[in-house]
Amino acid sequence: MNHTLRMNIYKVEGALIRLLGLIERRGFAVTSMNAHPDESAQHVEVTVHVHSTNRSVETLTRQIQKLYDVRSVACLTAAETPAVVGESMAC
Amino acid sequence: MSAKGAELVVRALEQQGVEIIFGYPGGAIMPVYDALLNSSIKHILARHEQGAALAADAYARVTGQPAVCMATSGPGATNLVTGIANAFMDSVPLVIITGQVPTVVMGTDAFQEVDVFGITMPIVKHSFIVRRAEDIPKTIALAFQIASEGRPGPVLVDLPKDVTNAVPATTPIYETRRQKRQSPDPEQVEMARELILGAQRPVLYGGGGIPIAGAVDAFRAYAQASGIPVVTTLKGIGSVSTREENFLGMLGMHGNRAANRAIQESDLLICVGARFDDRATGKLDGFAPKASVIHMDADPSEIGKLRFADAGLLGDLAESLAAMPTGLAIAPWQQWCAERKAEHAWRYDAPGDYIYVPHMLRRLTEEAPDVTIACDVGQHQMWVAQHCHFDRPEQHLTSAGLGTMGYGIPAGIGACLARPGARVVTVSGDGSIMMNIQELATIKRYNLDLKILLVDNSSLGMVRQWQQLFHEERYSEVDLSDNPDFVEVARSFGIPAFRITRRDEVEGAIRRLLETEGPLLAHVCIDPKSNVWPLVPPGQSNDVMMEELSA
Repeated sequence: MNHTLRMNIYKVEGALIRLLGLIERRGFAVTSMNAHPDESAQHVEVTVHVHSTNRSVETLTRQIQKLYDVRSVACLTAAETPAVVGESMAC
Repeated sequence: MSAKGAELVVRALEQQGVEIIFGYPGGAIMPVYDALLNSSIKHILARHEQGAALAADAYARVTGQPAVCMATSGPGATNLVTGIANAFMDSVPLVIITGQVPTVVMGTDAFQEVDVFGITMPIVKHSFIVRRAEDIPKTIALAFQIASEGRPGPVLVDLPKDVTNAVPATTPIYETRRQKRQSPDPEQVEMARELILGAQRPVLYGGGGIPIAGAVDAFRAYAQASGIPVVTTLKGIGSVSTREENFLGMLGMHGNRAANRAIQESDLLICVGARFDDRATGKLDGFAPKASVIHMDADPSEIGKLRFADAGLLGDLAESLAAMPTGLAIAPWQQWCAERKAEHAWRYDAPGDYIYVPHMLRRLTEEAPDVTIACDVGQHQMWVAQHCHFDRPEQHLTSAGLGTMGYGIPAGIGACLARPGARVVTVSGDGSIMMNIQELATIKRYNLDLKILLVDNSSLGMVRQWQQLFHEERYSEVDLSDNPDFVEVARSFGIPAFRITRRDEVEGAIRRLLETEGPLLAHVCIDPKSNVWPLVPPGQSNDVMMEELSA
């Protein structure tokens, strides 16, 4: 599934890389992205297109929301059927 | 005279009520160590930064408050990494302070420079690089707030040396406001109540979130009032007393068969501060296949992460539990569970003369119900979880999520310092103990009353067990028969030690451990072929439990 996420984050050291790192670590590929400061120049608007075959974007948005530097996050794509990690492949 | 950045660091820590810091000095953190000389804060010198981080982790688990560890830049910082990851995986509030090379040379591959901010990004709740001395008070205060609020976790503060040496023009004192705990959504509460009232076979599935949320009393009260059978995760052990009638044991890979069977039969799983970890669930789509799920947690991203929640109660666990109904008509289910509990009760009549570790551990906690056990990782860790009695979760310190070999001794040190006078025993293995053996020097230096029960099977037992069962007995790098003489090792650190090899020596050894003042190591030699049973093979569902193989 492809999704578009729009975030507003504080313009502070590490915020962008922390955000992108979390998205990749949680099993989503970043297919394209755009980032620019908003009018206040205190925050950055980030739009990210992501792809995942088996992970829930709702869970991802909640994980992003927990980041201390993230002010808001919205998923701009339609609601999906809940993704379920069916197999426990842990060792 | 205005204060230097380093003094602001120490003042900010004092303002947070910090009494003890675990750490190790070095070049880039020297200004802070200098300022510490003028502080009432006690510094505990570990002999490796990992030991400092893991001791702080245990200190935080026992006190329920954020603990502090500190190291210099470069190797000092990278040595903390395992301890930070350990705290992250088990949601432990930790504030980590690292020295950093001066800002002007950051990014030039300066001596002892590493990007610890970048290295630790996936294993911290949050992190900061402080670039101006005047930001120090605010940053430290924020670090404590973030580490402890909501779902706790480690927060790293990286301090370049020029910042700790600088004298800021103004020194603002910054105070943070505590966030009120969130209340669960009333609609979800109502849905959960209906699910419970309609359930025939409910099970309470309690995790490490219960002690973290300060909800142990609420959990016990609800378990008692509702009569719903209880299983716990590894970190949830002690959330109800393990002697409690409706406690069925730990669930999962090495869980009690009664606990796993109850889960598999249940029609409603009430998950309280747990996260459907793979060691608990086994094959996920075979886990509690007939059950609806109520999930109570403080972390919104856990609800529905691995298992759909029919009702998700986000917020304060105690408040959620207090709103749940009691007076349930589940007598036949309670009786079924009680029968399974009796049917699968642990047995201690193992044949042979070798020391039977499950029985020894059981006897230890029978003789000393107040004992705090700091575990290492491996077979002995599972035996502790299965066989020891615990009245409170803080009595059981274990590296659950990360499974960090080497946790046991530093954790024992942290527990001794968190509760002076408390009875603390580290249960370790011959593999694990060598990973932080240098911390014996810390025990000696501070004359900590830590007892060490070292269970030695001359091998990496858990790996050997898996190679036996799942790799056709092809044993690869698990033989440790050339271990050092652990009694001599302990004595060379100035710690008295003794050895037992026979079953009839166990009672005397337990007495000696409990009656001796000061540190003591008991080296317990056991059958190298001992295994942990039962066992759910990896990737299987929890109703596939292997029992002991006949010899």
